Amino acid sequence: MNTTILRLSAQALLGRRRGVVLVLIPAVLVVLAVVVSILTDDEIGYESVANLGFTLALPLVALLAATAVLGPEVDDGSIVYLLSKPVSRHVIARSKYAVAWAATMVLGALPLLVVGLVLDASEPRQALAWGLGAAVAGTAYTALFLGLAAVTRHAVVIGLLFVLIWEGVLGTAFAGVRWAAIGGWGREVAGEISPLVPVVGTGLTYAVVAAAFVSVGSLWFTGDRLRSFTLRGDE
Amino acid sequence: MADPSVATPEGRSVIHDLGYRPYTGPRLGSGPIARALVGTGFRNTFGLGRSGRSKVLPFLLLGLNLLPAFIVGGVMVLVGLDELPIAFAEYASTTQVLLGIFVASQAPVLFSRDLRHGTISLYLARPLRSDTYALARWSSLLGATLLFLVLPVLVLYTVALLGEMDVSDQTADAAVAIGLAALLALSLTGVAGLIASWSTRRGFAVAATIALLLIGNGIVTAIQEIAREEGQPQVGEVAGLFSPYSLYRGLMASWTDVETATPPTSTAMEVTYLVVFLALSAACLGGLVWRYRRVATA
Amino acid sequence: MSVLTLDTASRWYGNVVAVNGISMSVRPGVTGLLGPNGAGKTTLIALMAGFLAPSAGTVTLDGEPVWRHTDAYRTIGLVPERELSFGYLTGRQFVRANAELHGLVEPGASTERALATVEMVEPAERRIGTYSKGMRQRVKLASALVHDPAVLLLDEPFNGVDPRQRLHLMTLLRQMGVEGRTVLFSSHILEEVEQVARQIEVVVSGRHAASGDFGQIRRLMTDRPVQYVVVCDDDRGLAGALIAEPSVVAVSLRRGGGVEVSVSDFGSFAVRLPVVARGHGIRILELTPTDESLESVFAYLVGG
Repeated sequence: MNTTILRLSAQALLGRRRGVVLVLIPAVLVVLAVVVSILTDDEIGYESVANLGFTLALPLVALLAATAVLGPEVDDGSIVYLLSKPVSRHVIARSKYAVAWAATMVLGALPLLVVGLVLDASEPRQALAWGLGAAVAGTAYTALFLGLAAVTRHAVVIGLLFVLIWEGVLGTAFAGVRWAAIGGWGREVAGEISPLVPVVGTGLTYAVVAAAFVSVGSLWFTGDRLRSFTLRGDE
Repeated sequence: MADPSVATPEGRSVIHDLGYRPYTGPRLGSGPIARALVGTGFRNTFGLGRSGRSKVLPFLLLGLNLLPAFIVGGVMVLVGLDELPIAFAEYASTTQVLLGIFVASQAPVLFSRDLRHGTISLYLARPLRSDTYALARWSSLLGATLLFLVLPVLVLYTVALLGEMDVSDQTADAAVAIGLAALLALSLTGVAGLIASWSTRRGFAVAATIALLLIGNGIVTAIQEIAREEGQPQVGEVAGLFSPYSLYRGLMASWTDVETATPPTSTAMEVTYLVVFLALSAACLGGLVWRYRRVATA
Repeated sequence: MSVLTLDTASRWYGNVVAVNGISMSVRPGVTGLLGPNGAGKTTLIALMAGFLAPSAGTVTLDGEPVWRHTDAYRTIGLVPERELSFGYLTGRQFVRANAELHGLVEPGASTERALATVEMVEPAERRIGTYSKGMRQRVKLASALVHDPAVLLLDEPFNGVDPRQRLHLMTLLRQMGVEGRTVLFSSHILEEVEQVARQIEVVVSGRHAASGDFGQIRRLMTDRPVQYVVVCDDDRGLAGALIAEPSVVAVSLRRGGGVEVSVSDFGSFAVRLPVVARGHGIRILELTPTDESLESVFAYLVGG
């Protein structure tokens, strides 16, 4: 880790408009949970609100955070100022990841725990399950999207296609997608913690190993791509 | 020929007029300029007239969007159904994610780049007002979104006609679907265009648009489901007013046979849905015009 | 004292060759990299700075390849052509961040020293977004100088900088050369290079066209006769007529047709050849310079 990079990345993440949207997403989710819990009695809305947070808000926060710490700099080439330094590229990747990961945890996973507690305070274990499942999925999402941001300028769109089309549309149509869906692995972890969360059926070990593999692999890949960063002229 | 000694006056220097002159012939007005801008913008939305790489995404999305329609066609032929398994209007609702990504990812092409690179001033240096520019960009995106929405309906319609279903029924249904598509396209174009013109970073604009559209829709859907289970459909009816997708679903439930969670039940509510739909589109368009006016005067 | 060495380095993109088998050594002192737009200067600097892999050949700094070699940046300071997009930082914050990234022991002191060198102490508290082009260029230079590098690479440093600040930048570069740093900067304007560097490297269409002291190259150009081959309908007639011209030093007949002409004064030869040919009723079918690279450099240096 490099404190300077941590600081600069945090500034890039929270400064300017991107930060507002990043904070807005979990805020809206928590407000929704509060409204639903006030207006309804039993845990009617739990499933739909938690699902919304898990399948949409969490990956979107991870995507915004991961692309914010790397995307704009790669996009306009100003990352050369960072790379023309004797700092290991893997340290750069790890530092940027740490900032994005922290944002995903605080603004993506933690709100799910809060939402769970708000909607059904009598089942803290269920809320914890959603929160931890989101933490596992968020860890892998952030790493994957950071890796995407290191290779392509279209990281946001590709990330969206992955989450919404592959995991979302195709995931509902084909059961086999669950083996290659980060959200599914997170749910598997959540389901192991609380029986109230339905598991997807990949097995806990597979889910954890797969999430760890994607996280570590993407992170290493990001560092390696940065080592081979190529400076192009103005287009 | 005048006196040649004038050209080389003694003891004096002279700069000769070599005949470089401004173009004084007829010029086209702002109408044709705007038309040209709309045309290029429409093509650019699909990556036409741009690099090969920028064609990949729009055509991939368009292909994905059409795929189910063709599959339906194939199934009709193989199995010999006498009714389409999906209603014309329902199609856009089913593929709303693709539609969202398409509009969100292509809006920055039209609205962000000129602002970010400052090329907007080149456009405004022509006899083209900022209002016209905003309208032209908006029309391009609207056209592209409409095409995206209407093509699968046309495919399904063709399939229905080839399957010798009742022509008048099918035509009426398809017409309603296209009317609904127009409403959806109007509002999505406005929302995505407005966000893209405010954020000059492409990636950010895409994510923000998707977040707004899909999370908004997700919240509305959640509320509608809860409202139905709670036996309070009127809450869901009101909630439906807060997202373009749910507005579309509401009107679709009123105007066609498709069933949704909490459709508007009264005529007054239907009218409200329609008014909100149109007002949202108009407000976004107004916002765009205002935004470009500010750019032009800044 | 560091030396950057390129050994038959090439770089191509698909079937476009941007840098074609260039060998050169950049030694301490100021070197001007001169070439028209699109000659491959930015590609060359990217190769030297380790931000581009050579497709063939090697680029080394004191014997170590620079590509994928992170530690090389302890020695290299790079001023890219790319604009700063850290508009939200102040000049001082930006330079200081660079100092910290270099792991300097006293980042604060190094920052102030670098800012003082480029005379940017006073506006250092303002955000970069408010700077003029020349100020941004100087902050970029300060950020590249903050770790006191032995090698300084600058891509088009004078682009868009007003004349007064340009003069200041030039003085700075000269001074660094005198201090014994290896300074290389690129430019497409001959006059700029002339004022800062004696040592020049000329790149034309991705090829290394000339290298050495500016004045010597210029003399080589004019002293050395240029070779042409003229194909016409009466070789002997033309040879006889041309030898009478003062700009022509030698004429010989080629086996299989064509006249080889050595020309000392390219300018007057170009004017005289058609006149002589018409005077003798000879039709010229083809005129080819046989030393093309020399020709292009010549045309370039002599302002063609």
